[in-house]
Formats: sequence, structure tokens, C-alpha cells
Amino acid sequence: MARWGMVIDLDRCTACQACVVACQVENNVAPSNAGQAEAGRAISWLRLVPIQGERRGTRPDLQLIPLPCMHCSHPPCIKVCPVQATKIDHEGLVSQVYSRCIGCRYCTTACPYTVRHFNWKKPEWPAPMEETLSPDVSVRPRGVVEKCSFCHHRLQRAKDKAQAEGRPLKEGDYLPACAESCPAEAIVFGDLDDPRSAVVRLSQSPRAFKLLEELGTEPKVTYLSKGEWGGQV
Amino acid sequence: MGADEPSKSFPLKVGVAFAAFFLATTAGMTALSLGGGPAFLRPAVRQPIAFNHLKHVKDLDLACNTCHVTVETETFSGLPAVEICAGCHAEPQGTSAEEKRLVKMIQDQTPLAWVSLFRQPPHVFYSHRRHVVVAKIPCAECHGGIADSTSPPLRVRKLEMKDCLACHERKKVSTDCTACHR
Repeated sequence: MARWGMVIDLDRCTACQACVVACQVENNVAPSNAGQAEAGRAISWLRLVPIQGERRGTRPDLQLIPLPCMHCSHPPCIKVCPVQATKIDHEGLVSQVYSRCIGCRYCTTACPYTVRHFNWKKPEWPAPMEETLSPDVSVRPRGVVEKCSFCHHRLQRAKDKAQAEGRPLKEGDYLPACAESCPAEAIVFGDLDDPRSAVVRLSQSPRAFKLLEELGTEPKVTYLSKGEWGGQV
Repeated sequence: MGADEPSKSFPLKVGVAFAAFFLATTAGMTALSLGGGPAFLRPAVRQPIAFNHLKHVKDLDLACNTCHVTVETETFSGLPAVEICAGCHAEPQGTSAEEKRLVKMIQDQTPLAWVSLFRQPPHVFYSHRRHVVVAKIPCAECHGGIADSTSPPLRVRKLEMKDCLACHERKKVSTDCTACHR
């Protein structure tokens, strides 16, 4: 069985935020206004986090890190959920069951990567955008927590297609919207249990590191960078 | 003693009120969530034509995909467009009044506004292709005796997760939330 993971190459990333927009459109994430952003209530499943890096030559010393859900192998969010609304499945995806969530927000606090978002209000789209919501992703109501799902609805579609064609799922059949949209090909997605996959090859690179590795969450998102990151991430 | 009485009867009243509220809510919730609920709670369905499944499936021996054309290729089985009916009914095949109406609709090219009878909540991903072609599950497994019906059911039939899960467990396929929910 597959174990889905992602590699984000920060040396390739131009911080264009195409992934952020692709994610928002793909997953029916309602746009937030300035007031919500100021209150820390803006929802974004994938966002760019600015981190002060080291200055090298003419390169600016600010590094922007795309931050999706890490889909940890030992997710702290699951341990605190009192109603089993968040679970890790057999393919390593950390799911959020909106209809079970009671909105206690323990998980948003427990997540060391702060990628979980609470719906403080009913999602609203500007008039023409309401017609363009994706039917493949539930619209979350007010009062529940949501987060990056690695676009698992795309896995459902990909599996359905592969099964109908009578073949196993192959690399590239299932890509989240962010990986598909990245013009610099900085986001690579695939099966961490398949030794021939690009994610496995890349995550063995000497440039590879993981965020907050010392917590033992075992994130399935690996970053690549030539920079020195000790103590800064 | 008289002074005690209100304090004794007060908790009793509260208890009764609570019990009544609890029973009413649980009954309400059960009706809405289990077994599709009593018929009067489910939305009524009015089909454009009183289609006779039994006549087509048993008497004429037509396969389901004759009319539900995408059942083996898409997630949605497909409700027949008027052109599909026209394949046989461009000329009247029988004498029923209902067929006369259909023939008229075919001649006028009126779109057939079939109403979906089996409904799932919007947060479920279900693929007919996967269940019909890959798993080879007979239609009746979920759709019951619809093939034996002579007129369309009057109420929506709700499909339930416990039935999905029972089958998934029996067939040893994934019961992960992410396998079906979105």
C-alpha cells in the first residue's frame, strides 16, 4: 500500500504563490478579508511562511516556505481529538471528518505546524465564484476545523480511473493541486514506499530536512535547501 | 411540610421535561438519520413519466445500462435523456396513456426532468464504475427491488453509511474515511 509524501525544493521555489491559489480554488477555501486576516482567522490550507534565512551573494535573506499539512506519521492532532474527527488512514493521509468535528480546536493548538484552521464564520464567496465551487470537495460549515488533505479527492478519482483501466496506480496519476500547478516544479509528490519514486530519491538528498523533526512527528513533507537552517525553522 | 412540597415537585417536573425533550430529540434524530426515516420525512419525488421498470427489465429483458448509459463508465449512472427513449418509443409500442404522453414529449423534444431517487450526502464520493465494473456488485445490492417496480416510488430512498461499511467489511476493502468521504 502506498504512503503518500511530498518534497518541496526551496532552491527551486520562486515564492510565486501559484500553489496557494491553486489550493484555494481546488479545495473550496473561501477568500478571507483583511479583518479576518488581522484577527488570525484567515483560512489557507497552504500558505507561504516567511523565514529569515542567511544572506548569500545577491540572494535576499528572506526565505518563503510553502507550508501545507505535514501529514505526520505520528500526528499530534489525532491524539488530542476527543471525537475521532481526525484520523490517519492506511495510506498515511491525515483526514478531517467535518461532520464529526465538534469545533473544540484542541487540534489547532496541538499542531506544531499551525496548519489547522477553524471556521469562525460561514464561508462566503463573491457572487460569481459561488457557481465555480468544486463538487469533489465538501464546503465546510461554520464551527469545524479544516486543513490540507493532500487533495485526497484526487486520489479517489485516480484510483477509480486506474481500476477501470485494469492497471495499478502509477506515479503521476495522483498529484495534489499545488504540485500540479507549480511552474518551477518545486513541489514533487508521490509514494514514499516506492523505492523508484522521485520523492524517495529526493528525500535522500543531502539538502533534505524536515520541519521540527525533533518533535518526533515524522512529517511526510520533506524540504530541500542548500541553506543553513539550524535553529531557524 | 407544605413548604417542602414545591422543592420536591420541582426536580420531578424538570426530570419529566428533560425526559420528554430527550425522547423527542432522539426520536427526531433517529427518524432523520436511520432507515432513511419514515416516508413522510423524506422528500417526495414526482417523475415526468410513470416509468414501469418491471415491463422493461423483466418482460423485455433490457439491461440496466440500456437506459442508464454511463453506469459502467462514470461515477454517475445517468438518467435517460429523451433521445434514449426515442430509440424505441418514436412510434407507440403499446396502448397506455402514459406512453402517449412520452411519445408526445419525444416529438416535442421536451427534456425529461428525472428526479434522482437514491441520494447520498454531498460529502460522499461514490463511483458506479468502480462498484459495477470492478467489484461486479449487482445493482439490486443497493437499489433493492427497483427493477420489479411497476411505477416510480413516491419518496426519495436514502442510502446509509452502515450498509456501505457492512459490505466493505465483508469484502475486505478499505474502510478509511478518505476512501469515500471528501
